[in-house]
Amino acid sequence: MKDHFTRRNALGKIGAAVAGLVTAVAVRAGKAAVQKLFVSSGAPKGYDPTKHKWVMGIDINKCIGCGLCVEACKKENHVPEGPSYFRTWIERYIITKPKPGLAVARGEVLVDSPEGGLHGFPEPPVPADQIQHSFFVPKLCNLCQHSPCAQVCPVGATFDAPDGAVLVDPKYCIGCGFCIQACPYGCRFLNPLTKTAEKCTLCYHRITRGLKPACVEVCPTEARIFGDLKNPVENDPLQRFYENNRVQVLKPHLGTEPRLLYAGMDKEVS
Amino acid sequence: MRPIGLPPQILRLVLLTIGIVVIYLVARYFLTPSSFGEFGWYRANALGDLASLQPTYAGKKACDECHSEEYQKVSKAEHRTLSCEACHGPGQAHADNPDINKMTVLTYSHCVRCHEANPSRPKWHKQINTKTHYGQKCTECHVAHQPSEAP
Repeated sequence: MKDHFTRRNALGKIGAAVAGLVTAVAVRAGKAAVQKLFVSSGAPKGYDPTKHKWVMGIDINKCIGCGLCVEACKKENHVPEGPSYFRTWIERYIITKPKPGLAVARGEVLVDSPEGGLHGFPEPPVPADQIQHSFFVPKLCNLCQHSPCAQVCPVGATFDAPDGAVLVDPKYCIGCGFCIQACPYGCRFLNPLTKTAEKCTLCYHRITRGLKPACVEVCPTEARIFGDLKNPVENDPLQRFYENNRVQVLKPHLGTEPRLLYAGMDKEVS
Repeated sequence: MRPIGLPPQILRLVLLTIGIVVIYLVARYFLTPSSFGEFGWYRANALGDLASLQPTYAGKKACDECHSEEYQKVSKAEHRTLSCEACHGPGQAHADNPDINKMTVLTYSHCVRCHEANPSRPKWHKQINTKTHYGQKCTECHVAHQPSEAP
């Protein structure tokens, strides 16, 4: 049976359309309100993460173990005090001379990192004449291309950002600690105040403003090199670092494909 | 009363399943952030949240705005690779409000932090032994901004 065009009919249809529109608006507003309750949004302004690829390099021959990078990282990112809370730290490697009579190339390998190198390093634990060679290795997030930490996160709180940084969403992190166990480089910790996982963000708030990460900014010897692979600048320190050094990564056998490259690394470093 | 010809216990199960699925879909619609999945299996707005933090270190360029004379001196001398904030401490607060927030004045401890002799330090780096090197009077013989010049 065909409907006739009547006033009742027309009003009914208009009413239904208005009700549908109001419902749609209400649902959208409701969704926004619900999300505001759980997560606030703050989309990057004037920064497109797909147009950058941040990379870091470390020249071990240049590191003097002053600990300025560790201090700057703590201050810049409000990393809590304490012996195990570091986003970057320095390790000291001491390789002793082999005992006479033993046909080995190297003696013992001693590694220490008192307070992450925050206040520099004391006198070595062995006398200077027994040291075959010794050096400092700054450590931080290895910027893996296949990040074990992002793989194991059960809630999608840790992720590989399109610009190369591996980040933690503090509002999504449930503090389960899977990522801390998964990271083969020990670069993560559980913040005792926020109870969420924390790690080097390459100073994300700095690099998105055009500044260098704090550790790179204060490094007195340019042992830390930072740059953007997608936007090379004139006389790019990163390109010079690649041209002038033979580089390698930490624990290549794990297949994590780190993008943090080390120059002048010894085989004992892991 | 068998509307679709199903036994009632089966019908109840089917309705219950549909109900659960509907509740799940409604919850998912309301609880998934709009930016989730923009770049991957995460909340893309987290990038903005992290980027919105405030820097503590202002960067070398900020120092150049007011202290360009000192800046030029340092960038020609041996300490040219140093950022001002490496020795003088974080400077964003000072850059925002120079009258209230002052920078750190250099002391002896700032010099020896890098220049105290340590067998682990690379050989090219200039090092002294503070026990035999005139004690804590660095600035009597060295200028921090131009280390090779006499004061």
